[in-house]
Amino acid sequence: MAQATAISAPVVIAAPTLLQRQWRWIVRFVRTQPLGVLGAAIILLIVFAALFAGVLTSKDPVATSTDILQKPSADHFFGTTRQGKDVYARVLYGARVSLEVGLFTVLLSVMGGTVLALVAGYFGGLVDQIISRIADVLISFPSILFALTLATALGKGLTTMVISISIIFIPIIMRIMRGAVLQQRSAQYVEAARVLGATEWRIIFGHILPNLMSIAIITASSTLPAAILTESGLSFLGVGVALGEPSWGGDLSGDSRQFFQIAWWMAIFPGAALSLTVLAFNLLGDSLRDTLDPRLRGVR
Amino acid sequence: MRTYVLRRVLLFPLLVLAVSMITFFLIRALPGDAAVARLGAAGAQCDTCFDQVRKELGLDKSKPEQYWIWFSDAIRGDFGLSTATRQRVSPELRDRVWNTFQLGVLTIFFTLALGIPVGILSAVRAGKPVDYILRFLSILGLSVPSFWIATLVIFMPVIWWGWTPLDNYVGWSDPLKHLQLLALPAFILAISGSAYTARITRSSMLETLSSDFVRTARAKGLWERVVILRHVLRNSMLTLLTVIGLQFATVLGGSVVIETIFGVPGMGAWLVFAVSNRDYQIVQGVTVIFAMWFVAITLLTDVLYAWVDPRIRY
Repeated sequence: MAQATAISAPVVIAAPTLLQRQWRWIVRFVRTQPLGVLGAAIILLIVFAALFAGVLTSKDPVATSTDILQKPSADHFFGTTRQGKDVYARVLYGARVSLEVGLFTVLLSVMGGTVLALVAGYFGGLVDQIISRIADVLISFPSILFALTLATALGKGLTTMVISISIIFIPIIMRIMRGAVLQQRSAQYVEAARVLGATEWRIIFGHILPNLMSIAIITASSTLPAAILTESGLSFLGVGVALGEPSWGGDLSGDSRQFFQIAWWMAIFPGAALSLTVLAFNLLGDSLRDTLDPRLRGVR
Repeated sequence: MRTYVLRRVLLFPLLVLAVSMITFFLIRALPGDAAVARLGAAGAQCDTCFDQVRKELGLDKSKPEQYWIWFSDAIRGDFGLSTATRQRVSPELRDRVWNTFQLGVLTIFFTLALGIPVGILSAVRAGKPVDYILRFLSILGLSVPSFWIATLVIFMPVIWWGWTPLDNYVGWSDPLKHLQLLALPAFILAISGSAYTARITRSSMLETLSSDFVRTARAKGLWERVVILRHVLRNSMLTLLTVIGLQFATVLGGSVVIETIFGVPGMGAWLVFAVSNRDYQIVQGVTVIFAMWFVAITLLTDVLYAWVDPRIRY
């Protein structure tokens, strides 16, 4: 009887719940990665600026006015352009374009790249050959040509931009993820699942995919700033968003360049906003990488 | 190893062929006809001239036939005549490849000259304030877009001193001025590359610093300077080889914007110009060279890497 009691009352070590584990992870991240926290704070600020652009300024970013080429003042925080557009309003609304392009490109290219990598890496053989060779061709293609031609063919705009930037990133992400899939495929847990009679799709999406999460997050965190930079570069070359729409890259190019000599504010503020955004995402991404993958410490 | 290299080398022409085909059909799928670009909007109104120009440009033939004609010339190094100016594409392309190549070499020089010392310093002082500052600076270097730095470098001196670094491109007729003109765009292109190099150098040195032979070297009383430069750095050079290859390949992408801003007559600036002018022949020529450059460099890097480090097996 006494023996039975002893057995029925084992020492219970409370396993932390998912929520607790996540909370601990966040606390550790904040404590060990001050630069990452700084990045996250700046990102929150920029997201806030993009969401509430209409509240933060009463001015219309595309409306022209008679206040042309005004210096920064209380009325126009960042000055005005040749057409009297308010630079402050354009910088705020420009955040929307950059963030949207960044976000959708990352979603499309990480999902697309991962699915292709799973198919290529898991099945191997001819499927792998076909997918990998197409990726080789796309990578050796001057990416700018794709973007230039797509923008000319489909017309300028957000959708075109997201598609053409994703085409640049999908093959690169596919290559990284394929390597990870190959590693996982020969792992014992996959073998175990197969022995238990799991279907191929179950193994791929139920077993291998969850194990790719941390590398997917790492990839996504470096793709996002790269996508924003590419967007601004394309807008700078004049194939980004429609002419006149607020875009940081676009505002630094074209006709406005004639006025940079007399209106430095037109050159400074959009570029500074762009650099700050990319910097913030890079800081956060770098810290995430440090935390999620200790092997990659310090490597991009 | 040998089969790997052989496979990669055999794949080379196939890759370039695929790129040339995609470009050929992609550029022809664009709205706007090359004949219109040649004639101008007014000239295109006249139907007979339009048909005649299309015939002259060979656009009246079927697309596969056009591709075959282009291909059979291109394989002999003749990229045809420019659609707009009817000049030969190949001689100018050769000049422009040479210009971009010089820009690339100079960029690599700055990349390494800046990135390696910063990386070494960061690794030797790992965890110290210097390390944090340098790491922050390299993330900053990766974040600031080159076209913005270029814009500031061009316009700020004008505002402050009424002077601009922009000047007409002269080539080697005036070597000093030539290098001076190329140095600035190369330096700006090198900023993000050197930030990347610094980070790679740092992490690969940190890895080497913890290995046994470094402890031995220190234990036998070698100067720290000798340990770092002779023992650690030499081992980290392997990783740098990949970086150099990668940088030389990505210089091409960066050259598009930088060449446009600084007026360097290279391949990148030409590509932008040609796409907007529907100059089919120029686009095709530039793209093929682009792809060959890229594939050749990556192939060379991979092979060199395996050759230098016998542990690498493909």
